[in-house]
Amino acid sequence: MEYLIHLAILISIWSMLAVSLNLILGYTGLLSITHAAFFGLGAYATAISITVYDINFFVSIFMGILITGIISLLFGLILSRFKGDIYALASFGLNIIVFSIFLNWQDLTRGPLGIPGINRPEIFDFVFKNNLYFLILVAIFALLIYLLSEYIVKSSFGRVLQAIREKEEIIQVFGYKTQLFKLTIFVISACMASVAGSFFASYITFIDPSTFDLQESIFILAIVILGGLANNKGAFVGTVFLILLPEVLRFVGFPTDIAAQMRQVVYGLLLVGLMMYRPQGLLGKFKL
Amino acid sequence: MSIIPQLIINSVIAGSIYSLVALGFNLIFGTTKFFNLAHGVVATIGGYGTFAMLKMFDQNIYISIIFGIIVAAFFGWLSEKLIFKPMRKTKSSSTVLLVASLGLFTALQAIIAIIFTSQFKTLSISVAQTKVYEIFGGIITDVQIVIFFTVIFILLGLVLMMKYTKLGKAIKAISDDEEVAKIVGINTNKVIAKVFIIGSAIAGIAGIAIGFDTGIEPTMGMNILLKGVVAVIIGGVGSVSGGVVGAFLLAFIENFGIWKISGEWKDAIAFVVLLLFLIFRPRGIFNKKK
Repeated sequence: MEYLIHLAILISIWSMLAVSLNLILGYTGLLSITHAAFFGLGAYATAISITVYDINFFVSIFMGILITGIISLLFGLILSRFKGDIYALASFGLNIIVFSIFLNWQDLTRGPLGIPGINRPEIFDFVFKNNLYFLILVAIFALLIYLLSEYIVKSSFGRVLQAIREKEEIIQVFGYKTQLFKLTIFVISACMASVAGSFFASYITFIDPSTFDLQESIFILAIVILGGLANNKGAFVGTVFLILLPEVLRFVGFPTDIAAQMRQVVYGLLLVGLMMYRPQGLLGKFKL
Repeated sequence: MSIIPQLIINSVIAGSIYSLVALGFNLIFGTTKFFNLAHGVVATIGGYGTFAMLKMFDQNIYISIIFGIIVAAFFGWLSEKLIFKPMRKTKSSSTVLLVASLGLFTALQAIIAIIFTSQFKTLSISVAQTKVYEIFGGIITDVQIVIFFTVIFILLGLVLMMKYTKLGKAIKAISDDEEVAKIVGINTNKVIAKVFIIGSAIAGIAGIAIGFDTGIEPTMGMNILLKGVVAVIIGGVGSVSGGVVGAFLLAFIENFGIWKISGEWKDAIAFVVLLLFLIFRPRGIFNKKK
């Protein structure tokens, strides 16, 4: 039972990441491969707030959103100059720069040693120490993010985003400032990833830079593409599949470290296969 | 003793290796017009191919190196044959090809880790046997000298090939306009397959060189690839000589950068340089045409 709760918590956290990346990648059509950076910013914001400044977890979520908001605004401005494949490469670069900062700004992040001893969330003297309570909390936040995403993509704002994806020039003719729309959704999505990071740090109670490298961004990308571009349900389905995959592999007898590598093999090959035969993903509505 | 000669030597060696990756990447990009991210793992395959022959099957060093190069070239060719060529036929966008190459990269890297474990391994026989020379107060190993001259040799070979052979001219024609190249009777798929073989062989050499100079690990591909890509963008995408200049420029910036800041920031420096170039000089230092 405890094990199932653990998996459900992981699924909740990663579905926040997938749903938020889908806003940029699926609905707006921007191939951003830097989501792990924002995930990490949230995680480090929470870790440092709690361990160094003894700030409440729920306040630390907002610290994370604030910091991620500012940095993603800056990143969004840089990326707004690029299109297509160059956009992807530049976003790659941003992920590596953020990763380098996590790794090397040792006074703040303790570098490769990581930050241990991050407390579980606490409100009015109630501590979410029990994993079941933690699951309920994180699931509520994941649901909120899911509903917010659904609301965004169904609003007039979301329709403009999808129009930008289909033909940016035309929507510009109608007088929409498309750069502003792209920037806004980029920041919103990054802040959602930061919330996921806050929960991750608090759940595992230990973080180090290796969780937030480029490979993680590729993993989140694979979830979104597998589940389906421009489909929030698809993002959830993709998360469930790829989070459970190593567990299934372990269950059939692969050792733990091999199972983790096998997952990489599977999602790598899935990306290749999907791109060849179904570029919109399983439930997707938009082809890259 | 001044540190500058050593920094220059380090930069030249790093630049040599980056330019190998940039060369292959540029050739492939020139003819296929997509960023082949799997190019990085091809270098890793070259390194591990040599490692397998040398340390697991106890072959001599020359056979091992040749084997590594052939394995890398084979995988490059296979990726073109099985994945990229069918995708070009269905007119997939360059972004779709990029994501597919990223997937291939991830899968192959993990397979290498499963077969050879994630541990860092070195190709050189023993540290004691490494000869060390001194140039103007800087230290260079015999391996590094060999790497440097190999790179010069490959560079000259490529320049001559591009200028004087039919293949070189066909590559240029496809880079300019694939449709027109087809119309004048160039078998573009055949030429692109050869480009993948040549480019991947050169990437394999880069991986082997790194293996002898420092060592190999399954995740090294991403780093090699990204340095190559940064070099290509600095020098101008699609320009073969530009890629080489970009590689050396990047190596010098990195190595002189860590003179003042600490060494761990090397990657961050490379990507700040990349972003600066993308923002202010997106066509590289040489490419002026729009």
